[in-house]
Amino acid sequence: METKYSSRQIITLTVLRVVIGWHFLYEGMFKYIGGVWSSRSFLLNSTGPLAPLFKMWAQSDKAIHYIDVLNIWGLILIGLCLFLGLFERPAKLLGIILLSLYYFAYPPFSSAAAEFYADGNYWIVDRNLIEIASLLVLASFPTSYRTGLDRFMTNYPVRGFFNNITGGRLKNKLIPKK
Amino acid sequence: MKRRDFLMGISTVPILGAYSIGSTKNILKVLDDRRVDSKRLLDIDQFDVMNERLPSSTGNEQTRIRIGLIGNGWRGESLLNSFGYFHPDYVNKMKTDGQYDRWLPYQKRHENLYVDITGICDTFDVHAERGIEVARNNIREERNTPEILSGIKRYKTYQDMIHSKDIDAVIVATPDHSHAQITIDAVKAGKHVYLEKPMCHSIEEAIELKKAVNASNIVFQIGHENRQQMSYKLGRELYRKGVLGDVSMIQTFTNRNSLFGAWIREREFDHLGNHQTIDWKGFLCNAPWHEFDSKRYFNWQRYNDYSTGMIGNDFSHTYDCVNQVFEIGIPESVMAIGGHFFYNVGIDDLPDVFNAIFYYPDRALTMTYDGTLKSGIYRQTKVLGSEATMEIDRAIMLYKDPNSQRYKDVAEDPEEPFYYYAPNARVGVDGITSATATSYFKSGYGPTFIDGKVIDATFLHLKEWIDAIRGQGKVSCGIDQGFEETVTFCLANLAYLHKKPIFWDKQNEQYFIG
Repeated sequence: METKYSSRQIITLTVLRVVIGWHFLYEGMFKYIGGVWSSRSFLLNSTGPLAPLFKMWAQSDKAIHYIDVLNIWGLILIGLCLFLGLFERPAKLLGIILLSLYYFAYPPFSSAAAEFYADGNYWIVDRNLIEIASLLVLASFPTSYRTGLDRFMTNYPVRGFFNNITGGRLKNKLIPKK
Repeated sequence: MKRRDFLMGISTVPILGAYSIGSTKNILKVLDDRRVDSKRLLDIDQFDVMNERLPSSTGNEQTRIRIGLIGNGWRGESLLNSFGYFHPDYVNKMKTDGQYDRWLPYQKRHENLYVDITGICDTFDVHAERGIEVARNNIREERNTPEILSGIKRYKTYQDMIHSKDIDAVIVATPDHSHAQITIDAVKAGKHVYLEKPMCHSIEEAIELKKAVNASNIVFQIGHENRQQMSYKLGRELYRKGVLGDVSMIQTFTNRNSLFGAWIREREFDHLGNHQTIDWKGFLCNAPWHEFDSKRYFNWQRYNDYSTGMIGNDFSHTYDCVNQVFEIGIPESVMAIGGHFFYNVGIDDLPDVFNAIFYYPDRALTMTYDGTLKSGIYRQTKVLGSEATMEIDRAIMLYKDPNSQRYKDVAEDPEEPFYYYAPNARVGVDGITSATATSYFKSGYGPTFIDGKVIDATFLHLKEWIDAIRGQGKVSCGIDQGFEETVTFCLANLAYLHKKPIFWDKQNEQYFIG
């Protein structure tokens, strides 16, 4: 996929990437610095199709420990990558997976229970879904090869690995200078 | 690489630099804002009891105490457990359940009290033999040598035990009707006594027992282990520091909804109970004569001859917790009503629904008790104060009164407590209403939190007794607290039986039926 962006497009897409990274990173840092946070009650109260699985995890001290660590560091690393435009493609994919888990813990399918952790009114579409959609947009319009550290990593050795797990080869040729 | 390419590539790095400084600052500020200064919130100078340390050890090889257990039923064995003695089957179950590696360090965390269980007495052969097996398995110290083990004896009667030179102190965990008789005899024989609650079966017995204990030099403790529970110690401190304002009403509750909870219990060895294996006369003690009846023997809590049912077995716990916090003592009068509606109607004779009102004009308050054996809903003791309402169990929750002066700056929220004490619950910022916190509150008895550790409250209560026998410190639930407990619940029981108010004459220690 060869992409050619106008300056305006590159700026707005980069802003979108950075604000999503900002959100992930802040959430992760808050949980890390706050110390007392645990996903237990979030999972215990979950509704929807995955609730039995989430509740089973919440019953186990060991599982909760790993989930907490993975969640906090997942948020921090995905946030940093989006912010800096580093390993953008895997970061977007993992971000979508993480957000989908949040979404399906409290799917807003007209159930009152879904409002447990929400501070608004939602039906099918909630903030998690909007953020997922935004990451999907960014997946179609990558920017890190221009306004991110990926620009310097066109030949980084793990690229092939990431390309394999995230789909087709990314041809991020620079736009020829006029 | 061109300069422009380089600058574009790192364009977001400076933003991240600024972001990381700003965001960290903001997180710390938010966390600081959320961290409530409880002392300022409650308008008190300091917290005292929460800084309490575990009392230091008083025992050594020279001061070993030899203890005899009278009554090795459900509670008797759990008291042996609190001393660190466990039946081998129990230990094996811990192993097969995969809990052993967690359980053993918890047990070892409890101090070695330097006591030996040297005697077991029970009217049921199976329980007595099992008690011996428990007493032979000390898991806290290496005492399982042939010499020590050969000193553990079974006593056929409690009289044999209390007159034995091999026993220094006894634990009495028998059916309620025999508490007074056994304890009075033990006290007269010069043995220290740890007596399970409720202290006595009647007011008359309580008066007799008080006389006997006061005339002796022995150390006497009632087994209300909630005296060691940090939440009640803290509740007492908060009340005395004016956190609740004027307390006008105390509501107490007990709820159960199972056959086991209603004391209709089929235990593992009950089928072995018969004329040969049960000392029926020994069980009856001073109770009215009745032909042998294994139901009466194993479900004695359901018969007025041996027990006082809910009021003596459930309410007495709650009452002692309230008495610990407020020192309300014995009420001036009591009214009660209840019914025997559900279990075993016509065969046994104790109520399964019970309501009582206790009148304390000197303290300008009333206390109520609502209990049922047909609903398992959970309700903590609720104390209505002019400044705040306190819900208290192993945790404490304070709710601001709408007309409070003391907390006029605290945000109004009738649903949410503005202060809570819940050690060990993983309470985060939003944890208080979470399922985790709620389930924590539901567990009423068990370990407490002291000195940064989770410790078995019954162990602490036994330790207090043992330490006092060695001349260190005093017991927290002695004869006066036991007397108040027994008279209070017996007044309610009399009110229920007579369907009339019962009045208490404090000076002459007599009751009158109204």
